[in-house]
Amino acid sequence: MNRSLAERLYDDFIYQKRYMYLVRGLGNTVLITVFALLIGVVLGAIIALIRVNYIQAKKKSPLLVIANFLSGLYLTVIRGTPMVVQLMIMYFVIWASGAPILIAIVSFGLNSGAYVAEVIRSGIQSVDRGQSEAGRSLGLSSRQTMAFIILPQAFKNVAPAIFNEFIVLLKETSVAGYVGIQDLTKGGDIIRSITYDAFPPLIVVALVYLVIVIGLTQVLHAIEGRLAKSDLR
Amino acid sequence: MISVKNLYKTFHNTSGSVEVLKGINCDIAKGEKVVIVGPSGSGKSTFLRCLNLLEEPTRGEIYFEGKQINAPGVNIDQIRAQMGMVFQHFNLFPHLTVLRNITISPVLLKIQSREEAEHNAMALLKRIGLEEKANSYPNQLSGGQKQRIAIVRSLAMNPKVMLFDEPTSALDPEMVGEVLEVMKELAADGMTMAVVTHEMNFAREVANRVLFIDGGQILEENEPKEFFSNPQHPRTQDFLSKLIK
Ligand SMILES: Nc1ncnc2c1ncn2[C@@H]1O[C@H](COP(=O)(O)OP(=O)(O)OP(=O)(O)O)[C@@H](O)[C@H]1O
Ligand SMILES: [Mg+2]
Repeated sequence: MNRSLAERLYDDFIYQKRYMYLVRGLGNTVLITVFALLIGVVLGAIIALIRVNYIQAKKKSPLLVIANFLSGLYLTVIRGTPMVVQLMIMYFVIWASGAPILIAIVSFGLNSGAYVAEVIRSGIQSVDRGQSEAGRSLGLSSRQTMAFIILPQAFKNVAPAIFNEFIVLLKETSVAGYVGIQDLTKGGDIIRSITYDAFPPLIVVALVYLVIVIGLTQVLHAIEGRLAKSDLR
Repeated sequence: MISVKNLYKTFHNTSGSVEVLKGINCDIAKGEKVVIVGPSGSGKSTFLRCLNLLEEPTRGEIYFEGKQINAPGVNIDQIRAQMGMVFQHFNLFPHLTVLRNITISPVLLKIQSREEAEHNAMALLKRIGLEEKANSYPNQLSGGQKQRIAIVRSLAMNPKVMLFDEPTSALDPEMVGEVLEVMKELAADGMTMAVVTHEMNFAREVANRVLFIDGGQILEENEPKEFFSNPQHPRTQDFLSKLIK
């Protein structure tokens, strides 16, 4: 096993185009992350609206009470159990017939929604009460006020936090291999199992995550900077 | 135009409950300008906010154009669309341009088309000399400019009455005048107005009637000349004497 590093790298990545395991893996990682975040934001916004509505409503309709109860249950279960377990339950128990990638997207989306919901809820509640009073005093309905006055400001407040959730999610999807999905992490692992050489594939996998996260963090700082500036304008 | 009968308001919070309004009776006629004064915490804002139901009365009745508005089945959004309100802290929408601040409500409520609303908004901006700010954002404006735009934003709905809650209290002194000027013009145009303010000169000049609220009750009301020169209630005398200092 005293091969030179060059030989190992050739074996791990070039021979039989093994680098493609990483390329395809990265593709899946990005695919799962992007669509899971989309689901997470939509679901999170819905849950947040239900919870804020419930807190603010003077008369709580039975439908609202039920929706709020289910939301609370969802948040508790999702935040109280490990992501991998949720993924495996989805894959092996609930939806055994689904395409693995789709199952992963939905699982990570459901998971992310619970965190995004709390982010958006705090964003809504951080908008000054005077804003909704101004909207209502102009004759706008509570829905119109929420949609056109409160939510745009809330989303602006939480844009950095949601972008940060994207970064967190990107790393979290590395457990997708547990249900047989060939994401970036699994790609490195497959190479390792073929070549019996752990160091280069795993280091490269780590570097790819690191570079992407550093890049996204730069974007995050740019977003924060722009938002701070627009607050001063 | 507005009639308040036996209005009570109690706030409930964690530390117990406070009765803020204790039986207010008041009529505001069309075209009348009523100025409301009183010490801090006496319930002036709460009273004003009950008029457009931003606060829900605990007891009592509020009538707008003969119709009780704090009754089941009343569409309060439709009532509020006819009542303008100006807040101490302006409450402009920071994510919208000045123009959009003014047009959002008439457009969303389909009272005017977007073109009509923008045309109307530009005319209103011109009236207060701020038409060049149409595409600015609120954070780019001075306090006085913000408040004048907040007034115009309410006016864009063609309200039948305007409620002002200490519209100049958050302003630097040099900006108070420009806001009062707009309010005076509005008064001269015949607008029905209810104004909570500490600007006694404005009250003297513009009001048809001054209400003195203390401890959640109207202790005294009179036309401004009598009110300031010859206050009857000891609390009013006390309040006015402290203002002069
Ligand atoms: N939402 C609320 N919950 C609980 N208490 C309240 C609420 N709003 C007002 N209060 C209380 O009601 C009382 C009257 O308040 P209000 O704002 O009407 O007074 P005000 O006359 O407008 O005073 P100021 O001149 O300081 O504006 C105060 O003691 C205040 O603490
Ligand atoms: Mg007040």
